[in-house]
Amino acid sequence: MSDKVTIRRLPTGVPGLDAVLGGGLPEFSFNLIVGPPGSGKTTLAHQIMFTLATKERPALFFTVLGEPPLKMLRYQQQFSFFDPAKITESIRFVNLSDNVSSGNFDEVLAHITKEVEAFAPGLVFVDSFRSVMLEAGHQPTGTLGLQQFIQQLGIHLSGWQATSFMVGEYSADTDPHPVFTVADGLLLLDQSVHRNSMVRQMQVLKMRGQATRPGMQTFRISSAGIEVFPTALVRDDNSATIEPAGSRRTKTRVAMGVPGLDEMLGGGLPSGYSMLVAGPSGSGKTILATAFLAEGVRRGEAGVIVAFEQTPSQSRTRTIDDMVRAGQIGLINTRSLDLSIDEIVHHLVGLIHKMKATRVVIDSLSGFELAVAPTFREDFRESLFRMVAVLSGLGVTVLMTSELEDRYTDLRFSPYGSAFLTDAIIVERYIEIDSCFKRVLAVVKVRGSAHSNELRQFEITDEGIIIGDPVEDYEGLLSGRATQALAAETVD
Amino acid sequence: MPTGEGNLLREAIRTTLGQRAGRLPDANATAEATAAAWRLVAVQLAPVIGARGLDVLFSRALHRTSTLFPWLAFAVDRGGSANPLPSLMVCLAGQHTATAAEASYTLLLTFTELLATLIGESLTTRLLAPVWAGPVPSEQESAS
Repeated sequence: MSDKVTIRRLPTGVPGLDAVLGGGLPEFSFNLIVGPPGSGKTTLAHQIMFTLATKERPALFFTVLGEPPLKMLRYQQQFSFFDPAKITESIRFVNLSDNVSSGNFDEVLAHITKEVEAFAPGLVFVDSFRSVMLEAGHQPTGTLGLQQFIQQLGIHLSGWQATSFMVGEYSADTDPHPVFTVADGLLLLDQSVHRNSMVRQMQVLKMRGQATRPGMQTFRISSAGIEVFPTALVRDDNSATIEPAGSRRTKTRVAMGVPGLDEMLGGGLPSGYSMLVAGPSGSGKTILATAFLAEGVRRGEAGVIVAFEQTPSQSRTRTIDDMVRAGQIGLINTRSLDLSIDEIVHHLVGLIHKMKATRVVIDSLSGFELAVAPTFREDFRESLFRMVAVLSGLGVTVLMTSELEDRYTDLRFSPYGSAFLTDAIIVERYIEIDSCFKRVLAVVKVRGSAHSNELRQFEITDEGIIIGDPVEDYEGLLSGRATQALAAETVD
Repeated sequence: MPTGEGNLLREAIRTTLGQRAGRLPDANATAEATAAAWRLVAVQLAPVIGARGLDVLFSRALHRTSTLFPWLAFAVDRGGSANPLPSLMVCLAGQHTATAAEASYTLLLTFTELLATLIGESLTTRLLAPVWAGPVPSEQESAS
């Protein structure tokens, strides 16, 4: 059948929201935007309205009690999407407070109907319907009941060939309302405060006929309005439409930029792999990561670094700073403490595409965990898994560093159990030989590839990392109780 | 407000009141003209900011204008009525024509400026454009 109804999807103008909605807002849908005070409901409604309203598709914005319209107009103007030129021409505000305070819903409905018929809007907003409900107790007997009012309003809104929105302080969990059933779309906005960080999240609980992105999606409100950071999709290798990550991994190897290290890795790091470099503070992880990016630049491959710890201007990382200034690598440098991993992934993927980068460094996972808002720390491992999967899907070669407390009682590579997420692992350790601290490194894992299993000493010089000889004469180095193997034999 | 736009607004308010009051206005005609202009303002703004919001702004503008024209105190107190307009008209009608005209002009200008401080000049200009007779500050003019 070719005569099935085609539902047009309207782009909301809210970055990231269309992806969450599954392609935009269905035209003529009846939507609810709900959430506690300050969660960004009116801002979301205004941003959608100013984006979509045109002379041909005008918008009517009904304000009820709640926020005084003067305040709303004053503060919403601070957002760049607010375009006064659209007001009166394609956007009309109508205040319903007088009707609502009388408690007579027949009047409210009649007023809304009259305005809609007169203005013939393509978009209708009612902000907020919670106020309407609070007034329900005052209604005269014999008039339209609250439930009927909401129901009728919903039906009217659907029949007016208008894409409509009711905005309200309403919790879908604790206070379900029949209108939720009538609605085609239900957007839940929330903000959670944990210690010093505040995180905004939204969830599309319902959007008829569309495959929406499940779960909570983080968003930010800036002077440009709302920006949503959709959860990174972990693509399924079985999906026919998605090119599996593996196919983008070629048999080529990526040079690490540290003499001798490529040989230890069995000929370099396989392209498209993710590598974890774990080691204690000062062991040279950032320097290794810098060498990895610098080698890329030398070969004409752009890179991106997400830096959570050292600033690029610090002496050891000067090379990073130089490469960033030269436009050879992209930098995401953040010390904000209220990030979501999705937000970082969003920026990272954008920068990878922009730079056409093939090498990515995340320095370090420990700093990353600190920068992530406490709300997300519980899910840090899952989010990390998603991030690695997304990067892998892009075909980039990833190097992540991880702070590893030096322990001599057990051998661990990461505090997050992230070792299994990565395809290759290099571990750096301090050892004591002849009353001196020495650095050693070893390749622990390179998936699907032969690699060295030697423990090699290395030094950090002005030229970078210089890998030395294997530590052959000692054993028990990683236990912290090294003994000179050769000496023991001599005694025997 | 920027000088150019402010001058245009002042001119627009004077022209509006002048046209409504007629060629040889007396204080009564000035009071009528003020009430008529105010009703137009209310028609434009009440749907947007609500009757209560309008009332609060008008009262504030009246209060500020009464510091220059103390005889408006009766209107500020509303003469015991919920609607300040009848008492304002009584006040204006009791003055010399020139004084009433100046007070009426100052009141409308104060109200418009007060609204602009809250919702911005651009939006104020846009919302009140249908009220004013004669040249009105427009988007293009304020941009140039």
